[in-house]
Amino acid sequence: MKQLTFKQKIIQGIHDLFYIWMQEFRTTFRDQGVLIFFVLVPLMYPLIYAFIYTNETIREVPAVVVDYSHSALSREYLRKVDASPEVKIVSYCADMEEAKLMLKERLAYGIIYVPADFSDNIAQGKQTQVSLFCDMSGLLYYKALLNANTSVSLDMNADIKIQRAGNSTHRQDEITTYPIKYEDVALFNPTNGFAAFLIPAVLILIIQQTLLLGIGLSVGTAREHNRFRDLVPINRHYNGTLRIVLGKGLSYFMVYALVSVYVLCVVPRLFSLIQIGRPDILALFTLPYLAACIFFAMTASIAIRNRETCMLLFVFTSVPLLFLSGISWPGAAMPDFWRYFSYIFPSTFGINGFVRINSMGASLNEVAPEYRALWIQAGIYFLTTCGVYRWQIIQSRKHVIEKYKEYKGR
Amino acid sequence: MVSRPLYLFCMVIAPLFCYVFFTTLMGSGLPVNMPIGVVDQDMTSTSRQLARNLDAFEQTAVVAHYPTVSEARTAMQSGEIYGFYYIPQGTTAKVQSQRQPTVSFYTNNTLLIAGSLLYKDMKMMSELASGAAARASLYAKGATEAQAMAFLQPIVIDTHPLNNPWLNYSVYLCNTFAPGVLMLLIFMITVYSIGVEIKDRTAREWLRMGNNSIYISLAGKLLPHTAVFFLMGILYNVYLYGFLHFPCNSGILPMLLATLCLVLASQGMGVLMIGTLPTLRLGLSFASLWGVLSFSMCGLSFPAMAMHPMLQGLANLFPLRHYFLIYVDQALNGYPMAYSWINYVALLIFMMLPFLIVHRLKGALIYYKYVP
Repeated sequence: MKQLTFKQKIIQGIHDLFYIWMQEFRTTFRDQGVLIFFVLVPLMYPLIYAFIYTNETIREVPAVVVDYSHSALSREYLRKVDASPEVKIVSYCADMEEAKLMLKERLAYGIIYVPADFSDNIAQGKQTQVSLFCDMSGLLYYKALLNANTSVSLDMNADIKIQRAGNSTHRQDEITTYPIKYEDVALFNPTNGFAAFLIPAVLILIIQQTLLLGIGLSVGTAREHNRFRDLVPINRHYNGTLRIVLGKGLSYFMVYALVSVYVLCVVPRLFSLIQIGRPDILALFTLPYLAACIFFAMTASIAIRNRETCMLLFVFTSVPLLFLSGISWPGAAMPDFWRYFSYIFPSTFGINGFVRINSMGASLNEVAPEYRALWIQAGIYFLTTCGVYRWQIIQSRKHVIEKYKEYKGR
Repeated sequence: MVSRPLYLFCMVIAPLFCYVFFTTLMGSGLPVNMPIGVVDQDMTSTSRQLARNLDAFEQTAVVAHYPTVSEARTAMQSGEIYGFYYIPQGTTAKVQSQRQPTVSFYTNNTLLIAGSLLYKDMKMMSELASGAAARASLYAKGATEAQAMAFLQPIVIDTHPLNNPWLNYSVYLCNTFAPGVLMLLIFMITVYSIGVEIKDRTAREWLRMGNNSIYISLAGKLLPHTAVFFLMGILYNVYLYGFLHFPCNSGILPMLLATLCLVLASQGMGVLMIGTLPTLRLGLSFASLWGVLSFSMCGLSFPAMAMHPMLQGLANLFPLRHYFLIYVDQALNGYPMAYSWINYVALLIFMMLPFLIVHRLKGALIYYKYVP
C-alpha cells in the first residue's frame, strides 16, 4: 500500500468526515425512533411542562375558620384574610373537631383558629394571638396561608397602633407604625412564579436528555445491524477516529442548533416566560453546552448494546439531574459529594448558566465559571469519545480478522 | 431476568441509587446559612448591628459586603449570593430624628426555595429593626416590656405546620420521589420485558410455555417482577420510616399496602402501555412520558388545584397521584384508611387495566412483526 502524504491524509479525512456526516444525517431522518427523540420530544415536552405550570402560583387555598371570639375585630380579621388573593375561607366551623373533619375530607388545607379572648385582649392592651394550622402535603399551601395571615396581621397591627398612639398628624401615624419602612423586591421573578422558576431548567435538561436518548438509540441500531454487534462498520470511509467523531458530532450539532432555537427561544416566548437574556450571549453560551452534551452522549452511548436499552438507562436520571443542578434545592445547601458529582454532567452548568442569562440578564462575565466549565467538559468528552471510538475501531477490526482467519482455516 | 445486567440495574441499582441520592441531597432538611450580601451605605453601629443580626438567623449567612447596589446585583447574577439587604445612607440619622427612613431587601426568586426562605428571614429582620426603633422610644417613655410588646405587635400569628413542624423538605419530597422513581422503572421494565419478546420473535415460544394462555404467560412473567419491586418498595418504607424516622402516623402496614397497590397498579399500567402500542420503542416512549410527567402531575410540588381544570382531571390517570394522596392521609396525617378509599379504588382500577387490553396484546404477540 502506498504511503499517503500528510496533506493527502487531511484531504481524505475531510472527505470522509462529510461522507460520515451525510450518512448520519440520513440515518437520523430515516429512523422513526431517533426522530421521536430529536424532534417530537423537544417539540412536545416543553409545551406540556409549560402548560402544567402555566398558572405560575397558587390562589385561593381553601381554609376553614374556628372563631371563638365572635367579635367585630375577629370578623374584620377573617374578612381581610378571605379577601387576600392567596386564601379563601370555605367554611366557619363550630369547633376544632368539625374543622379537622373538613381537613380529613380534603375540603380545606388549613384551619384559622381565633381564641375567645382575641378581642378582649386587644381592648385591654395585651398581646393576642391567632393560631394557624396547616396541612403540610404541599409547601405552597403552607406558604399561601402563612403569607396571607401574616400580612393581614401586620396590617391590622398598624391600625391598632395608630388608634392607641393618639397622634395628631397623619405623618406621625406613619412613623408610629413603621419608624423604619422597608420594601421587598423579588428580583427576576416578580410574581414568585413556579413556571418562571422551573421551566428554564427543564428546557435545558430536555436538550441533554433527548441527545442522550437519540444518540443512544442510533448507536444501538448501528450495533444491531452490524454483523459483529460492533459500533463501527467496516468501510473505507470509517478508518479514522477523528473523522468519525467529528462527522457524527457535526450532524447532531446541526440538528440541535435548530432544536435549541425552538426550545430556548420560541417556547419561553409562547408562554410569555421571563426572557431578558441577550440573544448573542445566549448563542455563545449554547455553543459549548451543545458540544459538551453531544460528546457526553456519544461517550455514554458506548454502553448501549440494543436499540431500546438507552431509554431504560437514561430516562430515570432526569429527575435526579434536575435536583443536582441546584435550581430547586439550593446549591449552597448541597452536600459536597453531590456537588462534585454534579460536575460530571453538562446539564448542571448548562442550567445554571442559562437561568442566569435568560432569567437574570447576566452577561458572559457573570457566567464565566459555567462557560469555562462547559468548554472544559466539551474538551474532555471529546477526548473520551475519541478514545472509545478508537477502541471500537480496533475491536471491529479484530473481529473481522478473527472471522477471516476462521474462514481461511476451514 | 437474572441473566441480563440490564434488569439488575433497573430493578435494584437504579432505585437504590435514587433513594440514597434524594435523602442525602436534602439531608439537612431545610437549607441553612444561605449566602446573602449586605449593601451598607449607612456605616453606623446601628446598621452594622442589623447586618450582624441578619447573619445570626439560621438560614441566612452574610458572606459579603458591597459598596453599591449594582455590584450586589452583579454578584447575584453570577450566583455568589441569593439576595441582599440594602441600608441607604442616613438611615440611622433619620431614625433618630423620626423621619422614617426606608431600607429594602432583594431576593432572587428564580431560585424559588432559596428566594422564599431568605425573603422570610429578611422580612422578619426588617420588622424587628422597625420594632427595635419603636421599642427604644417606648422604653424612654417608661413602658414595661409587656406593654411595649403589646403595643408593637398586638396580634401575633402562631403557626403550626401539622406533622412536619420542621418544614423538612426531605420529608416533603422523598416520600413521593422514592415511590415515583420505582413506579417509573416498573413502567419501563414491564413494557420492556413484554416488548422484547415481540422484538426478538420469542413471543410465541413464551405463550407456548404458558399453555397458550395469555393470563398464565403474563402472570408467569410479571409475578417475579412484582416480588422484586415490592421488596424494593418495602426497602424504601423501612429506610424512610424506620431508619430516617420520617413521620409515619398510620403505622407502617397501611403504607406497605399502599406500596403493594402502587407496584401492582404500575404493572397494570405497563401492560396497558405495551398492549396499546405493541412496538417496543413506542411502548417505552409512552412509559417514559407517563412516568416522567407523574412527578409534576401528582401535585406534590405544584398543587393540582392550581393547574388547568383539564389537567386536574388528567391527573387522576397517574397512579402516583393516588399514591401521593394516600401517603398524605395515612403516613403524614395519620387519618384512618377509610378517608382515602377512593384512591385505593383508583389503584385497583389500574390493576384491572390489563384485562381490557389482553386480547389485543395476544394478537400482537402472535402476529405482530417488529419494524425497526
